[in-house]
Parts: sequence; C-alpha cells; structure tokens
Amino acid sequence: MDKIDPPAIIKDLGSLHPINQTKKHLLEILSQMGFKEVHGPEIETEEFNFDMLNIKEQHPARQMHDTFYVENKSYVLRTHTSPVQIRSMLDSKPPIAFTSGGKVFRKDDDATHLPMFHQVEGIYIDKDVTFANLKEVIQEILKNLFGSNLQIRFRPSYFPFTEPSAEADIMSESGKWLEILGCGIVNPVVLRNCNIDSELFSGFAFGLGVERIAMLKYGVDDIRDFYKSNLDFLGQFT
Amino acid sequence: MKIVYNDLINFFSKKPTKELLSKKLFQLGHEHDIDGDIYDLDLTPNRGDCLSLLGLARDLNIFFELVEPYELFKEEIEKLDLDFENLSPDECPCISFLEIEIDGEIAEYKPYLENFFTILKNNKVNFFTDVSNYISYELGQPTHCFDRKKIKNKLIFENRDCSESFKTLMDSEIKLHGQNCIFSMGDEIISLAGVMGGESTACSPDTKSALVECAYFIPKAIIGKSLKYNLSSDAAHKFERGVDANGQIEVLRRFIKVVEDHVKIKSVKIQTFSEGSFKLKNLPFETSKINEILGTNLKDSEYKNILEKFGFFVKDQIIVPSYRSDISCQNDLSEEVARAIGYDNIDSKPINLESKKIQQITKINKIENFLVSHGFFEVINFPFSPQEASNSICIDNPLDSKKEYLRTSLEFSLIENLLYNERRQKESIKLFEISDLYSKDLEIRQEKKLGIIISGRVGNNYLDFSKKLDDKYLNQLLNFKNSSFIISEISRNGLKTKKKDKIFYTEILIDDIPDEFTDTIKSEPAPIRFFNYKPTSQFPSSARDFSFSITDTNNYQEVLDHLNDLKHENLKHSFIFDFFENKKNNEIKIGVRLVFQSTLKTLSDNEIEKSIVDLLKPLTRLKGVKIPGLNLE
Repeated sequence: MDKIDPPAIIKDLGSLHPINQTKKHLLEILSQMGFKEVHGPEIETEEFNFDMLNIKEQHPARQMHDTFYVENKSYVLRTHTSPVQIRSMLDSKPPIAFTSGGKVFRKDDDATHLPMFHQVEGIYIDKDVTFANLKEVIQEILKNLFGSNLQIRFRPSYFPFTEPSAEADIMSESGKWLEILGCGIVNPVVLRNCNIDSELFSGFAFGLGVERIAMLKYGVDDIRDFYKSNLDFLGQFT
Repeated sequence: MKIVYNDLINFFSKKPTKELLSKKLFQLGHEHDIDGDIYDLDLTPNRGDCLSLLGLARDLNIFFELVEPYELFKEEIEKLDLDFENLSPDECPCISFLEIEIDGEIAEYKPYLENFFTILKNNKVNFFTDVSNYISYELGQPTHCFDRKKIKNKLIFENRDCSESFKTLMDSEIKLHGQNCIFSMGDEIISLAGVMGGESTACSPDTKSALVECAYFIPKAIIGKSLKYNLSSDAAHKFERGVDANGQIEVLRRFIKVVEDHVKIKSVKIQTFSEGSFKLKNLPFETSKINEILGTNLKDSEYKNILEKFGFFVKDQIIVPSYRSDISCQNDLSEEVARAIGYDNIDSKPINLESKKIQQITKINKIENFLVSHGFFEVINFPFSPQEASNSICIDNPLDSKKEYLRTSLEFSLIENLLYNERRQKESIKLFEISDLYSKDLEIRQEKKLGIIISGRVGNNYLDFSKKLDDKYLNQLLNFKNSSFIISEISRNGLKTKKKDKIFYTEILIDDIPDEFTDTIKSEPAPIRFFNYKPTSQFPSSARDFSFSITDTNNYQEVLDHLNDLKHENLKHSFIFDFFENKKNNEIKIGVRLVFQSTLKTLSDNEIEKSIVDLLKPLTRLKGVKIPGLNLE
C-alpha cells in the first residue's frame, strides 16, 4: 500500500459577534482619522445622561416609559453613549477628538427596537470648528464604510445637544435614501456645562447605531437575529 | 401629521407642484411620505409651530410667497362675563373663552371643511367639535368646546394633585393620579386640560350654544399626560411641542368665521384671562457669528432676507415671532440659515485631525481573538435577569417584571444560549461573552468579566469527534500561570433538556487574566469582511452518517476531494468524522456525516434520500470504493 496522507484537519473557527465586529470597524475608522477612544459606565446619573446634554426635565426621553431607572431613580441605564463624551470633556481641554462605543438602553421592545443596542459616537472641539467641517468628517466616515462612490445627503433634524442638528442619508443600491447617522454642531449650552468657553471653542458631534450599520452591511432584515445567539447565525461571521 | 397637498398650496400665490413642495419640505427638515395627495409628515419635536397648514406654509415662505387664504371674523365682539378663575397661571399664562350661539341647522359642510373629514378620513363628531378639529389642522391651535348649557357653575383651572375618576368624551373612564392640569366645575373635573375634555360637558349634535376654550398651556404642564392615561390626543401632541403663545384671539376669530360660513350666528362673546402681555424674544443680529458656526460667507442682506422670510422682524436686533419657541440663541438662528440655504449646499471643509494608521491591540482584543481561533463564538446578551443576588441592582421600571435585576454573573445568560443551540441539534458548543457587570456595595461597582461555556464534542473532525469538551480541555486552553480560576460543572437538573453531555462553565475577571498569558497571544485581528448573510432555517436538521470502504487506493484522493467539496441545496454541512487505514487488509475507511436542512420546509426522508443519491452516487461508481450497507441504485 502506498503512503496515504490522512484527510486534512480543518480547524473549527469561531467568530466575534457581528455587532462587535461592526463596532470595532467603526471605531477603527474613527481612530485612524485621529479620534481617541474613551470609555464610560453603562449606569449613569441623570445629570450626565440628560442634564449636561441639555435634555430638559420635560423632554419625552426622561419619562419612565423611555428610560430604565435603577435603584429608586438614583441612576439610569444610559440611553446613549453621549455621557462618555461629557465625562471626557470635563477631564480635558480643547482641542479634543474623542470617540466612544458601547451598549445603550431604551425601554422599548418590538420588531424594530430592542431594549439594548449599540452606538458609536464622536466629538471634536477646537477653535473655529464649523458645520462645513462636520460635513467633511461625516462624508469621510461614510465613504470609508460604504465606498467612495457613495451618494450622501444631509437634512435638518433635532437633538437637544446639537444645534444645528442634521441627519445624514445614503443612497442604497435600490435607489432609496437610507437614514444612517445623526450629527450636529455641539450646542453651546453643552460646552458651557463642560467648562469649555463656548465663545472661544466650538465643535461637532455625531452618533451611529451599530445594529443599523450591521444590518445594512450584512443584509440582516430582523434586528432580533443578532441577539438569539444562534450558532447557525453566528457561524456565518467567521 | 397628515396634510392635503391642495390645502397647503392654497397658502401660496404661485402653486408649486407636489414634487417641488416635497423637495422643499425635506430641505426644511420636514420628513414625510407621500400617499396620493396626502403628505404624512414626521416633524421634529422642536417644531410644534409646524403642526398645521399655517405653520408649514410660514416655513415654506422662504421658497413660495405666502398669502393667508383664510378669513377671520372682523366685527367687534362683545365682552363675555364668565365666572372663571385661573389658579395656576404658571401652567396657563393666557386663556381665552368664546361663547357662541347659533340659530338654525347646518345643512352641509362647505368643501374645505368636508374635505378635512373625507380626504383625511377624520371622523365627524358634532358641528362645534368638527370646527374645533378643523381649526387645529388649519392653524395649529387646539380648542375645546363645552356645551354652554352644561357649564352651570364657576369654572376653575388649576394644576393640582388628583385622585378622582374622570370620564372622557371618548367614553373611557380614567383614574387620575399625581399632578394634573384640570378644569373643574364644583366638585367635578370636567376636562383634563390640553389633553381631552370630559363626557359630562361635551357638545352633542343638538348643541346650539358652545363655550370654546382656547389656551396657551406650557409644554411642561402637558407632557407625558396622554401616555400616562393612554389617551390618543392631537391637542396634547401640539401643546407638548408648544403652540403660539400669542395667537388665541386670531384663532377664535377664525372659529367664528368658520361657524358663520355654515349657519346664522345668534350671538358671540369673548373674554381673555392673561398674566400680562407675552414678551417677544430679542437676539443680536450677528451675521459673522452665523458664518462662524456654518462655515459660510453670508452677507448681512442675505441673512436679513432669510430671517424675514421665516417671520422674524429684523432691525438692530432680531425679534423672534411668538410661535417660534424653539429659537433662543445664535446657533438656533444658524439652523434657520442652513435650512434656507439647504444643508447639501453648504460646502464641506477639511479639519486638521492628526490621523493614526496603527491600531492598538488591547488585552480584550487578544482574549477575543484567542478564543475565536480556538472555535469559540462570541455572544452578546441583554443584562436583564430574574435572579436576585445580595448585591443585585434593581430596575425600577423593568420591561419584563420577571427580569427586574441587572445580572451579576454571565452564567445564566450563557446557559440559556447553550440550551437554545442544543435544541437546534448543535453537538459542539463553545461560547463566550465579555461584558461589564454591575453590582452595589456602598456604591455602584463595575467589573468586566469573561464567561465561557462548553458542552458536546471537541470538534467536527476525525481527531476530535469522539472527544468531549470538559474541564481538562478548558484548563489546557486557559493555561494561566500565577492565577487561579474555577471551572464548574453545571448540573443539568432543572434545565429543560434531554441532552446528557456535561456542561462546563468558568467566569473570570478580565483584570485577573495575567498579562503573561495575553502577551504570548500572537494576535492580528482579522480584517472585517462584510458579506450577504443567509437567513437561518427555522426547520429541523437531519444528520446521516456513511462509512466508505476504499480498497483501490488510487481512488482515495478523488474520494477525499469529492467529500471536501460536497454541495447541494439541502446540504447544510458535512465533515469527515472517522479515518482508519488498515494496512493489513489494504483498506481505508472514511466516516462522513452529512447534515441536511432546508430554509423552506422540514425535509422528508424521501427528499433526504434523493439528496444522498445526488451527492454520493458518483463515488460508488469508482473502482474499489463502496459504502457497505447502502444501495444507491
């Protein structure tokens, strides 16, 4: 009998969760653009989650139906990653360029919303920062994500922590505009709350929903698929 | 908010097309869908002033010249002497009442009023309420109509602690609690102010005399009330976002005019209760500041023109119109300019950010990559748990009352993930999760932990197929020196499972994983690969094992190549689980497992058998290759 080579061993590879892969990819893009990654807690005070961000007491987000409160309303589960930017701004002096990513929580659970999802945010503060600069950075991020031939549009929106506020849409292959991120010029009230002279400095901020990006990039229709921990699903992301 | 195209273009001297109007609404930030002649708008919460035909038309005046198409009642109106007291002027700084009595029957509605009900599919209620609803659509100011004959005692408005029941005009009984703005008459609450009126004083089709209340409630006084009592209220939606603080009299004059268009008016009286006059906001006129914010080169005249078109009065200062409660600083004004120019027409400009090309690999990155390279899958779980530990943090308003704690361990979540996959016939399960966990001592404590769970076969290859995942496997994998961690076997008692494989679990603080261990991991993160994911099947899979006997070794490699390249629409995956070379008998044995699953249905035995024939028959035609016990003819 001739020498026989046994079958090759094909090593079983696992995978990082597709949401973490997408989050890391976004953070890497921002890091390469010069944003420094910062971290913060998921349990926050109302002060950092709302007040410092100019989200007033009567804002709908502060009602019990939108926000998870813990320990007899002493804290909240952060509803966005923006409090990380607040904490970082309080510890730094401009010029600053921070990015943060992580879990956020909203009291919501239906076919298109989950009580926990992921955001990646960025903030840039310096002298003479304008809306025109914001547009340049957003275009660079989106072209990094979706390709250089991308068609992008900006339209007015509303966030209490930015003014002017905008949403950026991208043109899909099917010819439909898709909402992709929110952004804006940091509201001077927020700068003042963080002890930054709003007459001298200005800046912009933006935030992306990681699940939204992952759904678009992988063609996943149902957001809930990400959190079933189904190995048939996760096994595709090796 | 739904509006009719023809209703809106009545406000302009030149009538724009539906498409042009849509484009300009988008430019102004008024996102919408179009269904025939109806625009279904999703307005941002700061633009309460745009929740009407008039409001949108005022905003669109930047592109299309505004003409006010509606008529007001111009005649002098007698003063009403209403027995009313406002006990909470902070919540309601200004309120007006119109007493209106009609004489005769309403034959049919004029087209503008009728269209509001037919085109927008609104329900008619009674004449006065119908006019009230139309006025809200046209001008954005909610009004409430009481049947005048039912207001027999002193009317009081106040913001107070309530515990009474209240029957709404929609016939629902609600139990009031906490602070509420209410109208009361004697001991009876007759209206939940700014949200919904009560049944006892509501107008009916027989009502000939109405008392129309028209107020400015501050948003804070109304916000959250309709949700609190599960009431669907257009009025609350508008008051929460802010109505014109100064527009009540004009609205009531328009109310009278609409009534007059339909029926003879017997009498009208009006009365306003106000805490002084409303003060308009002033802001400095600083074109340079606007250019600083936007990065534009706007001239003074251009800036002034934009502001005036939006309804601002500009001289030395900018006077903000009373309906623009959202404008309070230069950044707000810059947004007006950006909307007028068009966000897409502002040129982008680069910034001086120092780009970094080298990505730092963190300790966590290394641990993740190490586990992935050993066949582990990362999972992410929600933090909500039914399990209370002594140091658990309790959620005040959980989504599910059975999961009211934040997890203090990853164990429970990972067991659930494992059982979920066992129910889907997975035989080798290796999962991990890295997450921050929160507990309380004297204060909130945050720890980042790694949880690992394993059960079943070590791997899907002939070397590992018969080996089971166990504590030795985990110990060898996590070969930490100078660090101790506990691997525990999870009992299957109490778990809803028929599986017998042992489950092993470990949870480690990331900080306790020695750097000596992670430093040795040669870890280059795999570049992210985006691809089109395939939906997973909801139907069961079915496994079939086959044993090949190869006595002509010349065909061995062909068999191997064929088995490594099996493809079929019903084949989910396959692998060689056994290999044996019997040199004495000059025979090679190969064991192959084929796993079948369809995304469309549960496969029948016949369908599986047919797939097997398609896949394996070519091999049995090779000389010296057999599958003992299997007839594929």
